[in-house]
Amino acid sequence: MGELAVEKHVEYILAVEKRKDSFESVVMDHLRLNGAYWGLTTLDLLGKLDTVNADEVISWIMKCQHESGGFAGNIGHDPHILYTVSAVQVLALFNKLDVLDIDKVATYITGLQNEDGSFSGDMWGEVDTRFSYIAICCLSILRRLDKINVEKAVNYIVSCKNLDGGFGCTPGGESHAGQIFCCVGALAITGSLHHVDKDLLGWWLCERQVKSGGLNGRPEKLPDVCYSWWVLSSLIMIDRVHWIDKGKLFKFILDCQDVENGGISDRPDDAVDVFHTYFGVAGLSLLEYPGLKAIDPAYALPVDVVNRIFFSADN
Amino acid sequence: MYGNSWDEDRAMDLLNQLEAILESDPLIDEVGFIHPSQFVTLCKEGGESGDSSEDDVLGPRNTKFWNRDHKLGISTEVLLPLCKAAKGAFMDAMKQYRTLNSLSNNKHEHENIMYGSLSRQSFDSEIMKHSRALLLLSCDFGTAWNSRKLVVSKKQQLAMLMDELLLSALVLSYSPKSEQAWSHRRWVIKMIAGKCSTMPEIITKESELVEKIAERSKMNYRAWNHRCWLVSYMTREQMLHELKKSRDWAGLHVADNSCFHYRRRLMLGILKNSCCKQECDDSSYDVENYQVVKEELDWNEVLIKRYVGREALWLHRRFLSQCSISHLTMNMHGISSQSEQKTSMDNEISIFMHNELCLLNSCSTIQDMEFEDFQAQAMYSAIYYLWLIKLIPQFRESEVQVKLKAGNLKTILHKTCPERSFLWDFLDLNGSL
Ligand SMILES: [Zn+2]
Repeated sequence: MGELAVEKHVEYILAVEKRKDSFESVVMDHLRLNGAYWGLTTLDLLGKLDTVNADEVISWIMKCQHESGGFAGNIGHDPHILYTVSAVQVLALFNKLDVLDIDKVATYITGLQNEDGSFSGDMWGEVDTRFSYIAICCLSILRRLDKINVEKAVNYIVSCKNLDGGFGCTPGGESHAGQIFCCVGALAITGSLHHVDKDLLGWWLCERQVKSGGLNGRPEKLPDVCYSWWVLSSLIMIDRVHWIDKGKLFKFILDCQDVENGGISDRPDDAVDVFHTYFGVAGLSLLEYPGLKAIDPAYALPVDVVNRIFFSADN
Repeated sequence: MYGNSWDEDRAMDLLNQLEAILESDPLIDEVGFIHPSQFVTLCKEGGESGDSSEDDVLGPRNTKFWNRDHKLGISTEVLLPLCKAAKGAFMDAMKQYRTLNSLSNNKHEHENIMYGSLSRQSFDSEIMKHSRALLLLSCDFGTAWNSRKLVVSKKQQLAMLMDELLLSALVLSYSPKSEQAWSHRRWVIKMIAGKCSTMPEIITKESELVEKIAERSKMNYRAWNHRCWLVSYMTREQMLHELKKSRDWAGLHVADNSCFHYRRRLMLGILKNSCCKQECDDSSYDVENYQVVKEELDWNEVLIKRYVGREALWLHRRFLSQCSISHLTMNMHGISSQSEQKTSMDNEISIFMHNELCLLNSCSTIQDMEFEDFQAQAMYSAIYYLWLIKLIPQFRESEVQVKLKAGNLKTILHKTCPERSFLWDFLDLNGSL
């Protein structure tokens, strides 16, 4: 089995930011804040966060904040909960949550909860269990979970549970490993995992492992590195991770590395990107790859960062 | 590379061309990006190269854009400068729009009424023009979709809302997975829902659009999720109709779990629908409902035997047997006092179980180890049976009597999926296998 090409991946991530004149980078420009979270969390897991200039990143992030309190994916764009969580997570990585007007951000998120307990992504009203997770994760990090109706939020998530044990975007939506991560994560953070049928969901999640060892996100789909994170973290939260073949998954992720130029792709021999590099490294971290920082399966942040948030807040 | 002003002018020029085309042909329903080499062939086929417009003042127009029969082709060569120009133009328009808004929100309002309403019109149309061009190049540019929602929601005109459905469909023609484009449709439909009598028609058309897109874009989660979302706007009759109408498609796409999930969504809608109405004492629904599930179960068996080793079909069967069993047992509770009917229900359950056992027997025999499909079939059938044992108590009692031609479940699973350790845990818990 190969090894994780740590140095190459660090170089790759640092270089991505500088490559600004391709069509891909122009059309990805509006979600740069997500990109920052993927890249910087990877660097932190690899123990190399100090290679970036924190002040530069933070001052750019603060320029993405909208007067409503929410964050946009980049300067001059509209705010959305998807980018707000990335802003909060990156600031947490740098131990700089104190630059935030915490109540302002919390007010933005709280304002997105609907009567039925669900959350909209922004003022235009699209509803998705992803947004429920983000709201709960964000508010928990900001220590403002009491600002929303948690019981209703939990009930809405439970209403998105399917007969196969999985969860979809909205009630009746198809089970999808990404949505399952969000729902299980939100239930874990709010201490509501008793709503999950762990054997049934664990069964569905284990069936995501295909012959090559990789995991897919839905039945009949090809395996993809990003599901290493979503499926694995969910299995860990419901305590069924011993049901899959970890050795084969290790090998699958490592086979997706570009060992010459750095970065990880969705499948062996495909083109690499930051998104899959993050999920590959995060997956390896969950598998306890030696030398990597441990990552928290619910908050999607390094465990030491999560401990710092809750430890210091208790003081 | 495109930093100097000459290139910027050229890019603006390209943007103007694109916007002019979009203006002149509002019925464009498909857009695609074409490599320059393909462009030459396309233009020759169309006989356009004959009039050699290369000396056009606007530059060699026909090597960058191609527009015919309401189809639009854009050369991949100009994508980057065009996208940058569209983004720049849109962001400038937004900036001016916001300035205007904050002006009219303060106390100078009445001084600006005339000027304000005139210029607001033109700002609105600038935003609509540039955002449209931008979204054809960068489909998930959320701020551009939002700006259109802003303008459209102020005007509250049905025609404008319908235009948004067209634009979103156009974007989906080149990017069928665009989350923003699908979400924009839902926003439009929610806006229409309150004030339009043709809702059933719109829902039907939406459903057809998803099917058309799903044909080109396999296992498209976003598309099918949209179709599932539509179900909440359907009546029982529409759901029954959709179930019938979408069956052939599903039969031809047996690996697409999403289309079977859609059927599950419809069936649950139909079943739930009758639960609510049970108080009105309509037991005819009950018979009809069981018929729906039963037909699907029979059809699924046909597909399982025809298309060997398809995971989506076996997963669909789990759902169907769960529905059947819960229907049968629920009815049994209702009539517990009348022992005759109870016996007949018991009978139905054992008929059902017998049928599943026969299916397992015929599918678990690996006819040819060389063929992966047969191995997969044996594995899925064995896991399906295991699943029945776990989910349905009646099966647990009968499991001991299982006599399979291919040996016991454990042997089949050992042969076909040695890596699935969770199954061994489960088997061990039950011991008796
Ligand atoms: Zn992926």
